[in-house]
Amino acid sequence: MVEYPEIDRYSSLDSPMHRFDPRAKLIAFTILIFSIVLLPNLKLALIGLLASILFLIASKLPLRFALQHIKWVFLFVVPFIIIMPFTVNGTEIFSFYGLTMTYEGLEYGILVAVRAISAVILVLPMIATTRFDITIKALAKLKMPNMLVQMFMFTYRYIFVFVVEFQRTWRAMAARGFKLKTNVYALKTIGKALGTLFVRSYERGERVYQALRSRGYTGSPKTLVVFKMHVLDYILAGTIIGFAVSLHIIPLYLHS
Amino acid sequence: MVHISDGILSLPVLAAGWAIAIALIAVALWWSKKKGNIDEEIPKLSVMTAAFFVASLIHIPVGPTSAHFILNGLVGVTLGILALPAIFIGVVLQAVLFQHGGITTIGINTVNMGIPALIAFCIFKWGNKRGMMLTRKDLSAGIFGALAGGVAVFLAVVFTAFSLILSGKEAFSAVAILLTVAHIPIIVIEAIVTGSIVVFLLRVKPELIGGLGGDEK
Repeated sequence: MVEYPEIDRYSSLDSPMHRFDPRAKLIAFTILIFSIVLLPNLKLALIGLLASILFLIASKLPLRFALQHIKWVFLFVVPFIIIMPFTVNGTEIFSFYGLTMTYEGLEYGILVAVRAISAVILVLPMIATTRFDITIKALAKLKMPNMLVQMFMFTYRYIFVFVVEFQRTWRAMAARGFKLKTNVYALKTIGKALGTLFVRSYERGERVYQALRSRGYTGSPKTLVVFKMHVLDYILAGTIIGFAVSLHIIPLYLHS
Repeated sequence: MVHISDGILSLPVLAAGWAIAIALIAVALWWSKKKGNIDEEIPKLSVMTAAFFVASLIHIPVGPTSAHFILNGLVGVTLGILALPAIFIGVVLQAVLFQHGGITTIGINTVNMGIPALIAFCIFKWGNKRGMMLTRKDLSAGIFGALAGGVAVFLAVVFTAFSLILSGKEAFSAVAILLTVAHIPIIVIEAIVTGSIVVFLLRVKPELIGGLGGDEK
């Protein structure tokens, strides 16, 4: 019914991506994602896709796990691959019943798909190779505003609590014969179940705050994780960022 | 599907999304800081954000496929202006934990869901004030809760369609239309569920309605 976020399930493996400093990893891969997403032509995008796959292989994450996370993007990308060939004007490939498939449209549809898939693949070596709470702490070290950092920490932590809580509510409903259908009665019942979840979480939120206060919470988190950049981190980050930038610069020289 | 993936939108749309999102979040946090003790709000706000996040993981069968709740209208009705940071956190976590939506599109997706949430908040507050005079409290809350929930999703879809069309490719409009049509059943479902949640909250925990940092405490 509701699944756990298990993005950092394999964060305890050992690979070059796992050893990469979390701060440098976030910055380098974010730049690379932006770079690939903005590539204007298919050849460059395919180079980007190839690089993304190589980073994924280097991260040693199991293929099954990777595919489970990558598959969602297809839902968004498939309509583009199907529709774009028929709606972009250009050289005709073939036409039937007034629908014209164009070469330009097909290329553009594939370009969108390749960029989207590369970006999703890159999220895995970036996020799935570090424990998520450490990723949040890396964000704090990268000067993300304190309020947002704390919201990330609390929210992430309580997602697990509420998944369990909702599963329990759901089991209780199922035990009393409730079946999920798309009708007004079922939707209203779900509404009430969710309402209960919200009321409970609000009350829990108040208790959490009181408990935190009594232990000296002042709004600024202390962290026990120590980050240290090594030479290899600098080299790896430099290489990734250099590659990201050159994807945009080299074509300029090739054309002139 | 209201969260757009990476690789589709153009640079100006992405940049505008980030700029508007950051500005709105900064205003929301500044405003609630001015109004009261934000340290006290943060744990509560986060716990509510987590609850909304979990609710958005629930899949509902719609015809041959399934859809998940968006609930941005409810986030607006309950959190008020603090809906913006809450939705931002939700969008980021959806992108990095489940790969729904993208990294570069975090800004625009926050805007596309956040602004409709604020509009839903206004509709609910405005309508309920008038509605309560005319009819029963429950009925009015149910009607305007449902309206807020439906409108929030509808606007989120419209905003998303516009971000696609603004990205320059005239050909995106076909995808935008498809997206809008596909969401009609979801708008109805969200309206019913939001309405029933609002009525429930009004009976059980009325202080949850009207913004955590709001004035109706």
